[in-house]
Formats: sequence, structure tokens, C-alpha cells
Amino acid sequence: MLKKLIVFLLIGTLGYTLAVTFSSIPIGANRIGSLDNPETVAAYYLDKSPNDLKVANTITAVVVNFRGFDTLGEVSVLFLAATGLASILYRKEEEEEEEENKRHISHRLNLPSSSLVQTGAKILFPLILLLGIYVFIHGHLTPGGGFQGGAIIATGFLLMLVSYKGFKNNHKIMVWLESLAGLGFVGVGLYGLIRYGSFLQNTGWTGNLNDLVSGGLIPLIYIFVGIKVATELTNVLDILLNIKSRRK
Amino acid sequence: MEIIHEILKYIGLAFILIGSIFLFLGALGIYRMPDLYNRLQAGTKASTLGAMSVILGVGLLQPFWLIKLIIIIIFIGFANPLSSHALARASYRAGIKPCCEKEIDFYGKAVEKQLKKIKKNYKT
Repeated sequence: MLKKLIVFLLIGTLGYTLAVTFSSIPIGANRIGSLDNPETVAAYYLDKSPNDLKVANTITAVVVNFRGFDTLGEVSVLFLAATGLASILYRKEEEEEEEENKRHISHRLNLPSSSLVQTGAKILFPLILLLGIYVFIHGHLTPGGGFQGGAIIATGFLLMLVSYKGFKNNHKIMVWLESLAGLGFVGVGLYGLIRYGSFLQNTGWTGNLNDLVSGGLIPLIYIFVGIKVATELTNVLDILLNIKSRRK
Repeated sequence: MEIIHEILKYIGLAFILIGSIFLFLGALGIYRMPDLYNRLQAGTKASTLGAMSVILGVGLLQPFWLIKLIIIIIFIGFANPLSSHALARASYRAGIKPCCEKEIDFYGKAVEKQLKKIKKNYKT
């Protein structure tokens, strides 16, 4: 009885708070203001990112510059997710290897993929990598950015892992790249801290709008994010595909 | 110059029309065909040609984009048949049977042969 009462009380409080909060929001009103006279943070971003930062893509300016610290947290969340996946799914105890191998071999899906797919994958793989790199290098000019480019690169690796059974990623290089990219991100932040007095502070030099090298440190940070996301997602795919054959 | 643009515009519109007809037929084929393999074939063939034609039409309407769009067309022509081939092959191996009685089945025999070979290698 008491439990139910507490639950009702909680729900009532929650509902009341939500109702009060939402009733105070004027729906349909112009809350942005004008660009000359910004009233909210959105107008401030829209005004500042092309004019002061010289970044054509406002979303990138917000993600990497105005809330860059949060992006650093997101990248580390991704890293933690990959680590957690590996630690949960990694099987240490040896099972009956014979049995499992037999089961695999008798399965029709375990045949190698056709030579058409293999040749096509070989041709497409470098092009997919190129597209991914293009996307994260142009993150401050066009839609897309580090996360998207990294995901595209990971799909390229997925294509190779699916079509070639013997395709192995070099784990050492992957881990090194990932660590270096993370270190680079933090290093850019520390540079801002030392030089300008605040973590991830952008440089004073920003270049011209719509140039490839513009926006100060934003392209650099997005390149680091792209490399980190690509290596992490590739590692995740590798772990997921090798789960059955992995033994100590 | 103006006349050329005008002519290109109408050719592009014609290409877009043809492409959308093919895309519609592909959708109709996916709806009407009896089993997975026929649907895959209808979807792939029609949508490859339809998408290529629509993109080419857009390229003729906007000649500034034409080179990029031709690259996209090449990629569609390259990747679309490949992916449908992989899908069909994987579904055959997974044991999905074609709808109708078939008299010639070279691939089924080939798969059996391959499986036997692998099993033999495993035993020795």
C-alpha cells in the first residue's frame, strides 16, 4: 500500500513539474530573434560561426568549437563501448573445438564468398576509404564530419571482413592510431589551454570562409575524431565477427 | 548557347521520365514477383537502370554537376549488380528454395561439390 502511494506521489510530482515547464514555453513564438539582435543561443551560433570562426557548417562549429568538450566525452564513450563489448563477448574458456568446427563446416553459409564479390570489394575498398577521408576532412564545409566519415571507413573494413575470410586487421596499428588520435584531440585542447587560457580554445587565425584550411583548429579536431571513430568501429566489427573463433 | 541549354533540358527531362518509369516497374516487380530471386532480379535490374537514367537526366539539366553525377552512375552500375549477386548467393546457400520446379540447377551442384571438398579436407 505504502509502495503504491509513493509511486503515485512520484508520478504526480513528475507530471506537475513537466506540466509547469511545458506550459511556460510559448509554442510558435519567434524565440531566435534576428541575426543582428540575437536573443537566444541559436541566433548567436548562426551569427558567429560564419562571421567570426569562418566555418560554413554551423553544426560543425557547434559540435567541435562551442561544445568541443562534450565531443571529447562522446569519443571516449565510444571507446568505452568498444572496450565493454570486447570484455563481455570475449570467450576465454576453451570449448569443444572439434564440435564447433564441424558445426561450422557443415553449414552452407560458411563457404568462401564468390570471386565476383571479392574482386568488387578489392576495387571498392580504397574508394570507400577515400570517401570517408573526404567526408571528415571537409567536415567544416559540407554536411558530415568526423563521426560520419569514420563510420564510412568502418563500412569499408566491414566489406573486406565479410568478403575475405582471411582478412585481418593489424591490431597494433589500429590501437596506435586510435590512441594517437585521442591524444591529438586532447593535445589540441591543451594547446588552447596553454596558449589562450581555456581548454579547446580556438586559435585567433581562422582563414577565409569556404576554404579547405579555415576555421582554425576545427578541421584538425575533426580529422582526429574521424580517425578515432574509424578505428574504434573497425575494432568493434572485428570483435563481433571473430567471436566464435576467438580462443586464448 | 541558349538553344543548346533548352535542348539539353528537354533531353534531361525525358531521361528523368524514362528513369522514373523504370523505377516504378521495379517496385511493381518487387510487389508482383513470386519468390525472392525473381524479386531481387526485378528490383536490381529496373532500379539500376532507373536510377542511372534519373541521375543522367539531372546531369543534363545541371551541366555543372555532370562529371560528379557520371561518377555516381559508374558506382551504381558497379555496386548494384554486385550486391544483388551477393544477396542471391547468400540466400541460396541459406536454403531458400526458388518458387517453381527447376530442371537445371548448376549452382546447387557446385555448392554440394564445394561442401564435400571442404569436409574431405577437414577429415584428413
